[in-house]
Amino acid sequence: MTPAWITAILLGMAVLLASVRLILWYRSAAAPSPKRLIALLLLQPICAVLLFLTLFPPAVTTGGDALRIATQGTPRLAAMGSPLILLPEAPDTGAGERVPDLATALRRHPGTSEIIVVGNGLPLRDMDAAKTVAVRFDPPPQRPGISHVAPPAIVAPGSSFSVCGQLSALPRATVELLDPAGQVTDSVQADADGRFTLTGTARAAGAVLFTLRVRDGRRTVEQASVPVLVADSPAPRLLILSAAPNAEIKYLRRWASDAGFAVTTQMSAGGGIALGDAPIAIDGATLRRFDVAIIDDRSWATRRGVVMGAVRDGLGLILRASGPIDAATRGQWRALGFGLAGKDGVAPLALPKALPPAIARTRQGIGSDDVPADIALPDEMLPEISRLGLTPDGGDAVQLLRDAGGATLAAWRAVGTGRVALFTGIDSYPLTLTGYRTLYGDWWSAMLATVARPAPGMTPITTSGWAGERMVLCGLTAAAQVERPDGRMANLLPVGGCGAFWPERAGWHLLRQPRNSQPTPFYVQPADALPVMRAARDRDAMLTLRPPTPGDRKATGQPNPGSPWPFALGWLLVSALLWWLERARIGRATVPQSAK
Amino acid sequence: MSAADLLARWTAPARRRVLADSLVLAVPLILALAAIGWRLSGMVAVVVTVLIGVAIALLVARHRAARYDQRWLVRALDANRPDLEDSADLLFADPAMLGPLERLQQARLADRIDGDSPQSLRPDWSRRLIPILWIAGLIMIGLALFWPRPGHGPPTLAPSTEALPATPGIPRLVAQNLRIIPPAYTGLPPRDLASLDARAPVGSRIEWTLRFDPQATVPAIQPVGGARLALRRDGANWIASRTLDASFLYRVDPASGRGPTPPLHRIDAIADNPPQVKALSPAASLSMVTAGQRSWSPVFAATDDYGVAATARLRITLAIGEGENVTFSEREIALSGSGPARDRRFSPRLDFSALGFGAGGDMVVQLIVRDTRQPVANEVRGPSLILRWPSPKQPESSGLQGMVNTTLPAYFRSQRQIIIDAETLIKQKRRLAPDRYLARSASIGGDQQILRGRYSQFLGGEEEGTPEPPTNDGEQHSDDDGHDHGGPPRQPGPGFGAPEDVLADFGHPHDDSPASSLDPETRAILKKAVDEMWQSELQLKQGHPDLALPYAYRALRFIKDVQQATRIFLSRVGPELPPIDASRRMTGKREGLSSRVLAISPVEGRDGPAAAAWRALGDGPGAIRGPIELDALDRWARGQAAHLPDPLALSGAIDAVRRDPACLPCRAKLRALLWTAMERPPAHLARRRPADAGGTSYQSVIGGGTP
Repeated sequence: MTPAWITAILLGMAVLLASVRLILWYRSAAAPSPKRLIALLLLQPICAVLLFLTLFPPAVTTGGDALRIATQGTPRLAAMGSPLILLPEAPDTGAGERVPDLATALRRHPGTSEIIVVGNGLPLRDMDAAKTVAVRFDPPPQRPGISHVAPPAIVAPGSSFSVCGQLSALPRATVELLDPAGQVTDSVQADADGRFTLTGTARAAGAVLFTLRVRDGRRTVEQASVPVLVADSPAPRLLILSAAPNAEIKYLRRWASDAGFAVTTQMSAGGGIALGDAPIAIDGATLRRFDVAIIDDRSWATRRGVVMGAVRDGLGLILRASGPIDAATRGQWRALGFGLAGKDGVAPLALPKALPPAIARTRQGIGSDDVPADIALPDEMLPEISRLGLTPDGGDAVQLLRDAGGATLAAWRAVGTGRVALFTGIDSYPLTLTGYRTLYGDWWSAMLATVARPAPGMTPITTSGWAGERMVLCGLTAAAQVERPDGRMANLLPVGGCGAFWPERAGWHLLRQPRNSQPTPFYVQPADALPVMRAARDRDAMLTLRPPTPGDRKATGQPNPGSPWPFALGWLLVSALLWWLERARIGRATVPQSAK
Repeated sequence: MSAADLLARWTAPARRRVLADSLVLAVPLILALAAIGWRLSGMVAVVVTVLIGVAIALLVARHRAARYDQRWLVRALDANRPDLEDSADLLFADPAMLGPLERLQQARLADRIDGDSPQSLRPDWSRRLIPILWIAGLIMIGLALFWPRPGHGPPTLAPSTEALPATPGIPRLVAQNLRIIPPAYTGLPPRDLASLDARAPVGSRIEWTLRFDPQATVPAIQPVGGARLALRRDGANWIASRTLDASFLYRVDPASGRGPTPPLHRIDAIADNPPQVKALSPAASLSMVTAGQRSWSPVFAATDDYGVAATARLRITLAIGEGENVTFSEREIALSGSGPARDRRFSPRLDFSALGFGAGGDMVVQLIVRDTRQPVANEVRGPSLILRWPSPKQPESSGLQGMVNTTLPAYFRSQRQIIIDAETLIKQKRRLAPDRYLARSASIGGDQQILRGRYSQFLGGEEEGTPEPPTNDGEQHSDDDGHDHGGPPRQPGPGFGAPEDVLADFGHPHDDSPASSLDPETRAILKKAVDEMWQSELQLKQGHPDLALPYAYRALRFIKDVQQATRIFLSRVGPELPPIDASRRMTGKREGLSSRVLAISPVEGRDGPAAAAWRALGDGPGAIRGPIELDALDRWARGQAAHLPDPLALSGAIDAVRRDPACLPCRAKLRALLWTAMERPPAHLARRRPADAGGTSYQSVIGGGTP
């Protein structure tokens, strides 16, 4: 005997008694009104039923199979309504069921086929659990900040690198890159979509943090560390072939030997006389000893068979024009896959505008007695450098360098396991004489790095991790160790090549693998760094989860008590009607008169 | 006496007294304010204060004097003169408005009024206020003049900020003062600083006054990398001084190495910048003499951080003459500048006749200024300004846009000569035998041929034999051969037109024929002239000088047209070299030529210690978490001081890490400074990684690129 039953019996008896009383009263009435009697007799059971439903509202069956999951950033108002599951990140809303993770919630509520995620979204921890159910998620608008930043993977010592990224909800904000000494080394305005690219320069090998600063007007919106790993690769063995001694070769040789490359230069002076390094025979065996060759158009014409054979086996080749090229060379280069569209002859090359001196100085290192620091600061006079009127892109070629006017200066394509690049600049050496050494170095190292024969080395870890968040490190072959910033070691047990790691503190960590003598550094961001980027990552992961389909509604759910308030309102209205009918004078006009 | 006269006579003494009284009160106040102003900001403040003060005093005095008016006089007379019987009012009333009795009284008063002098009514001096204000004023003046200046007298010590833990028995710096006495020429006042870090001009005298507790025995100032500077006992304090010649870091060592190492302090030397000279007028470096100009007044401005010497020198270089006959003379004159010491103006007036400057000459002036630095002044040469007096004869060429030559006068004379010869021959036709006539005509035709040949050559046509000058016809002509040769040749030369061939002598044409030196229009006209010459030559050689004449005239007219365009422009573009014929290279004499090895030695990077320390200080690879060996870095930093942006800061940061190896902010600061102190090596390559087996075979299969 439940309270509901007792109440129901009591109410039924009350209705019965009231009906009997009504009928008796009707019989004894002086001027009985049958309509009123019928209305009263009908309304009393309705009133009783409504009262019962008010006291014991029926279970709600609509949407009963969807769990509401509160995550980080859940508004306080979400506590109203159907019950809530609170994940550990959710703020205390005053009501709801606390669970350690989503999998626990799903286990406690068996039969759940759909969850409604409130707040910013599930953390990565719960993604696997969320894949078993349909997820209804309405992503909140992105907060202003850095929504993505791509630090360079591995930077060679002394080279320049670029940091790309995107801002959310901050169009046209100023983005600055601060070098490790805190000086602004680049400053750009993000485009309308918030994208930006910043340039910095590396020094000696090591791990270093640059800083990305986003400013809206004079206010700093967000600041984040950009880890830059500067690591050296084996020095390439470079072969320079030229059909005549000239200044371009002289400066190229000087630049390459200063950079520490193993350079072999062969300049033909005609009549069988060669200048440069000790003469070598150009055949497949010798070319295998080189990683990259820079060959001018006239030297190439006579050796192209043997050189292209070596390229197929992995040699990098940079073709350069010593002047306007003839039709035969053009045809051969086109056959290599370079577009070479445009006018014949020579066109002027547009140089980029010189940087402001303050920024240019941060990109340079200190000077020395031989190379004073201001040698790298551009002169007022622009050097006159030209390029072929033909542009090498198009065809199968990939653009590699562009001048300030947007014309392609160099392009490359793969040939077998090697690569061929075509440089259309003519006489780039005046750059080194007029303070554009940096640009000269950037051009040639970009070309050499693109095409040079591959070399074994460190494989960078590009996943970004945050302190206190599980990270997955892949590419592991055996049990590996991570050295934390404080020197403690953590063991990784790889499964399928990947191992999980829980960083505790921000900083540079070193992944030590037994097979690699060199540890691989990777950076872990502080827990509160780049919140918008982290939210964007989670949000993107959320949006890959399965949204609910109409078929998801068939599963059983737990009955929830419905709201009593609509019934209470109905009961009140019916009771008021009853009272009014009992008291109203309509239909009994004679009785008051007789009472007088 | 009218009422107005009466009023003026009786109020004047009182007003004068009040004016005098006000001024006597104001003078001490003005003087005191002037003295304070002089003390704070010099003579300008004195003048301004005195002018404003006097103006205010006069206004107040006038205002006070204005109160002594008719109402005051009536009241004063009524109060002081019983004999006026309280009726002084009547003295100033209009008699026409008065009744007989009043008029009578007025007359009586007018008689009596002079019974006493107006001086009796004047107010007394402010007897109490005057001495008080004067004494106060004198005190203020005295204070203003004799208040001790900072940097003079015994210094006031400020408490030390070194915050070192106190160790019993070991002296510790407790109070300090740093006095900076800049060199006199800078005009800067001495100043006292409470901190031990300072920035001061080079050459300043720096005096430390330090106090230790407990009393030290052998304290010293220890500059980093320098000799100890012993402190001298002066009562309870210790003092030391030195002259600042370069920035340095130092620490105060109270107990010769015992106890904790005190922090570093830094004194920066501000170098005296050389003066800057700017030409205010004329703005352009090259200016022209205008018609009627007799003198030139360029204006220079010289600025300096402390002061430009009042006198400067102006170097005047005169280049007089034209062409190769230019003589230079150089002289220097002394100038005195105007304006404040830090921003002086020099505006010499250069008289052309006094300098001997004339038409066709250039005058180059350059200002040489010095600053007031002691002992050796900085000397700076300003920009050169050129004044050009164009020669009246030569039109001014417009820069190097095109080299201009007037050319070809002799050719035209020769064509005229041919016409004259032909006309003479026609006139003589009847007298001459036909064969003689034909020979003469052919001879003129020969002249015409040579002339045409020269013109054709000028147009790029082939040359027909060695042209002979038509005015020097050799054996074919003699002075008595019956026709006019138009006088002797103007200038004997080795070839025809040689005197006019200045283009080849000076113009250095880059093209293979002089033809491209002509602009297309001139060239077209010249070509027509040559065509006409052809016809003329043809007829002359066939013995028809009469038929040749119209062509000859037309040729002359075209040449006249060419004369209108007497300019030849040399093309500005560089040479278009013919393609190299590789087969001809190295086919000449080749003795002693052989392949050579050209040695090259790469430049070595020198920031090894900095890069090693930078890696050790970080937390990436190569990091050292314990104490770091910094001696190598320190030595390196000293050796590279000339190239480092801030060697002192680096030394300071090295010292801080050395003192406390566990101090994380110190390590971070040193690492940040090292970033600015490293070379940027020539870019190395980030090599791509080899593909795995699958990738390699895929790449081999897709191939691509036919050689």
